[in-house]
Amino acid sequence: MASDSSKKTLSRRQFLKVGAAAATTAATLPATVASATTKQSIHYAMVIDTRRCIGCHACSVACKTEFEVPLGESRSWVEYVEKGIFPNVRRSFLPRLCNHCDEPDCVDVCPTGATYKIASNGIVDITKDICIGCGYCIQACPYGARFLNPETGTADKCNFCLHRVSEGLVPSCVNTCQGRARIFGDINDPDSEISRVLATNAVSVLRPEMGTKPNVFYIDADHTDERDAERYNTYVRIDTHRRQKRRV
Amino acid sequence: MINRRAFLKLGAISAATGLVTGSILSQARELPHQGGRGFSPTTGQRRRSVPSTCYQCVTRCPNIIYTENDRVVKVEGQPNSIRTEGVMCAKGQGAVNQVNDPDRVLYPMRRVGKRGEGKWKRVSWDEALDELAGRLKTLRDAGTPEKFMFQYGRMKASTSKLVKSVFLGTYGTGTIGNHTSICEGGKWTAHELTWGGHYDNWDFDNTRYVLNFGSNVFEAHTNHIPTSPRLVRAMAERGVKLVTFDVRLSNTAAKSDEWVPVKPGTDLAVILAMCNVVMREDLYEGPGEAFLKFVKVTRRHDATLEEKIVALKEHFAEYTPEWAEQQSGVPAVTIQRIAREFATTHPACLMTYRGAVAHYNGNEAERAAQTLAAITGNIDNPGGRCKAVGAGWSYPHGPKNKPKSRKLKIIDGPPGLAAVPTHHMSHYVMKMIKDGSWGRPDVYMTYKYTPIYANGEVAENVEILKDESLIPFYVNINPFYDESAALADLILPEPTFLERWDWEDMVSPVQIPEYYIRQPAVKPLGETRDFGDVVCDLAERMGMPLGFKSKEEFVRLSCEMTPDVKAVGGFEYMKKNGVYHVPGSKPLYYSYTKEIPAGKYVADGVIYDEDTGVYWNWKKAHHHSESEARAKGYAHTKKAFKAYVGQRIGDKVYQGFKPDALNKSGYFELYSNILEEKGHKPRPTWMAIPEHEKMGPNDLYMTTYKVGVQIHSRSANCKYLTEIYHDNPAWINPKDADKRGISDGDAIRVKSPIGEVETKARLTEAIRPGVIAISHHCGHWQYGRYASGNKSPSGVDTDPDTKRIWWQEEGRDGKGVHPNWIIANAPDPINGQQRWMDTVVQISKV
Ligand code: SF4
Ligand code: SF4
Ligand code: SF4
Repeated sequence: MASDSSKKTLSRRQFLKVGAAAATTAATLPATVASATTKQSIHYAMVIDTRRCIGCHACSVACKTEFEVPLGESRSWVEYVEKGIFPNVRRSFLPRLCNHCDEPDCVDVCPTGATYKIASNGIVDITKDICIGCGYCIQACPYGARFLNPETGTADKCNFCLHRVSEGLVPSCVNTCQGRARIFGDINDPDSEISRVLATNAVSVLRPEMGTKPNVFYIDADHTDERDAERYNTYVRIDTHRRQKRRV
Repeated sequence: MINRRAFLKLGAISAATGLVTGSILSQARELPHQGGRGFSPTTGQRRRSVPSTCYQCVTRCPNIIYTENDRVVKVEGQPNSIRTEGVMCAKGQGAVNQVNDPDRVLYPMRRVGKRGEGKWKRVSWDEALDELAGRLKTLRDAGTPEKFMFQYGRMKASTSKLVKSVFLGTYGTGTIGNHTSICEGGKWTAHELTWGGHYDNWDFDNTRYVLNFGSNVFEAHTNHIPTSPRLVRAMAERGVKLVTFDVRLSNTAAKSDEWVPVKPGTDLAVILAMCNVVMREDLYEGPGEAFLKFVKVTRRHDATLEEKIVALKEHFAEYTPEWAEQQSGVPAVTIQRIAREFATTHPACLMTYRGAVAHYNGNEAERAAQTLAAITGNIDNPGGRCKAVGAGWSYPHGPKNKPKSRKLKIIDGPPGLAAVPTHHMSHYVMKMIKDGSWGRPDVYMTYKYTPIYANGEVAENVEILKDESLIPFYVNINPFYDESAALADLILPEPTFLERWDWEDMVSPVQIPEYYIRQPAVKPLGETRDFGDVVCDLAERMGMPLGFKSKEEFVRLSCEMTPDVKAVGGFEYMKKNGVYHVPGSKPLYYSYTKEIPAGKYVADGVIYDEDTGVYWNWKKAHHHSESEARAKGYAHTKKAFKAYVGQRIGDKVYQGFKPDALNKSGYFELYSNILEEKGHKPRPTWMAIPEHEKMGPNDLYMTTYKVGVQIHSRSANCKYLTEIYHDNPAWINPKDADKRGISDGDAIRVKSPIGEVETKARLTEAIRPGVIAISHHCGHWQYGRYASGNKSPSGVDTDPDTKRIWWQEEGRDGKGVHPNWIIANAPDPINGQQRWMDTVVQISKV
């Protein structure tokens, strides 16, 4: 069976225009979960319920194939945190991706405006045509979410599968998630699944002290890192499952 | 032991919220996951989609393959599948890498140098098949078709029927080897001894408690995606408790409510003690007791309920939790508590896998598990351990008159080494060929099977397969240049599973059969040809046409012949939709309670067997007369199980637990007359592992395992999977490492009675002291650049990623080690299963 190909090209220029406007206002908009009252009609976010995550990496591989991400780089990855002393040992899983922050450092430092926050939905994206590959954003991102794509020579990272989402599909990683641990949706819509989950669960974000206001929320995430190992003098092992062995 | 939800919450922000109840989380299921459409991220164009089926692992999940410009770019789960509900695992997602691997075999290749030297000549299909057909025809015409040995690894459903039943059946060889004994064949034999057929479905959707011995269902299982997400859902939404016995903290153990680190090879002791608790504390009362009507507990088949209970109590009396603590290191109180939980939380599901069964005493571990499930009333019931249900396809059987097949007796190991190796002893095939006492094949052909890498004793396998005096002609059917293909005389290139046809039938987790097909998403690359097409061609060349010309035709005919599928449009429907199940079907439980109408057992040829209570058809069992049949009896007539009609229990005749491979009765047999006659204990009984009995203070148990992102031996070429998992340092507890002066990351030597390997140490608290664990998957020396760094003879340079294999770079992780170099090929004495988990080793710092 073959489905017809319907021609539909994402207009990068259009995005760029709205994006540029958004970039200038982003810093002044206090868009938190509690008060998601921005001008955005849609505010995309993701909840990852780590209780349901079994560390299977289906999400990482789905993402890798969706975008043919070159070896050595990742838009999406799953970290393992192993800790304790036998037999009281625990391993937990922390799926990672771009946080699509409300106050993204990467947008602030981009000299060309290639990296921008899409005003209409909150996704942080990159306009490849005007990215000069300077790498400032890669340095600026406190989450190690960005990389220089060796094929395109431009900055790259998760874009919440904009090409799918704009067609009414869930992101690729959400589609395949074995544990149904990933919930994607619009937090401006109080009836959305994600809004209901956020309203009824305690959640955390990664490195809140950075002040970036992430839009990837975790239920029951284990934030242990190597520093905790020293602090508590216990066994902690972090596997990032990517080329960068240190967790950021 | 450990309440995993209650401890070590350091760093977990929301620990206080604990488990959120179903109302919110269950919404996740209603979320549209909106599969079935795909778009290019660069052009936004809609991708072409083809409903097909994954074959990375034997689970065979229905999928949707997306292509752009005739190139496979993405794979997704099939949202309409009742088995998978549209999700896929990492391996399934990585399927893209199989079809696009730059190191595929693209055309037939004939060896030109010495065997294994790596010198090849490209030949045409005509040349290759003329030679092969010539050799096979000569053997057949000489009346020795058995000298053509065929051995397969992954061959199921339509390919199995076409190749094995039709092609090899028409040709006349019975020298057909498989690979099941290195997988989980032993578990199946234990099933055939107890409930007749093989395979157990774990009904997580309806269960209230899950007890797991040695399964890593969250990472690897023969029915992985249909089960793993269902278990997550049961735990997250219904608070179902999962308790896992394992020697190491697998991801399954990590997600369990309780991990019990049991001593390797002693799951049997724990399960026997749980049976002890159930019988001693009368916890069988209720569903267990009711089920006993269908259970055979004594030599006699007609024992009363009271007699059965007495016999069970007596049998298990010696296996106290205190005794089991001595064997297993698991505290008696823990065994007792879990046994009580399991027995009193009905329905409860008992899972087992290789951690429990790939041992010297594996057959007994599985029979004991069957017992524990039986006496608690958790057999074939909603929420329990159920008899497998899969789609029943009809298919063309080929020429009517098939010769009586002849076979070399080399597939079951030496006579007597295993009592009932119903799934054969594939890990002994090489040894049998070397020995020669039972004959040797002139032509040895393997299909999706790597005798070199998949079995233990790799060095010996290499030596034998290289020796032309032992194996004169070796044909390897393969999409890839693996370690075995490298030793072939002729390589016939197979397309990957994204380029071929099949109908499929794997077990359904909801006890409702699902019909589904695999169809090509793109044309087979290069000159690759579906092996199903190749055997049709070979048959023509040998003058024995099969009645159809290709696998596609075979699949099409099967669709038209299978009533359920034909009714909705046959082949065309399946091509369009990929999957089908009869709407409104009821899940199949309690099949054993089906009554056989008198017309079936009071019928021509059907007689009653006093010894077993079985009605059987002596004519179907190929006896010459009724008196001959009665004299010989059901149990002692060769393959009488095929003539089974029903089981008399009291004044009724039931379908019962129908035999499928052995002449057992229709009871659920906890007492096996078959084993008793072979000199084994009729009831599940403790067996110590000889090697473990003799261990000294410096010895360690070595165990193997699989991870969620690799298939046993067939995925290291998948770059996205191998990027995540490419290296497998040995897991060792810091206590054991300290004693030997070993630090994390140190190079270590691991020595077993048959050899040694070098690897690195991974010091981890996630393993029981006294045990080291080395995964399968790694240490390839062929299989293309992503697996081993070695380009295949027909490899191409079109994939820029071959320049970015960062883990193989100097000073980085490397490609790991294969543990099979130091694991002996040794069978379970009852069922012949390869004992993957019994190796004893010493380790030292290099
Ligand atoms: S949303 Fe899309 S791009 Fe982002 S991690 Fe998931 S699959 Fe990758
Ligand atoms: S696919 Fe889902 S369950 Fe698997 S690792 Fe990713 S988030 Fe976790
Ligand atoms: S379990 Fe994974 S690898 Fe196996 S068939 Fe399903 S998707 Fe494919």
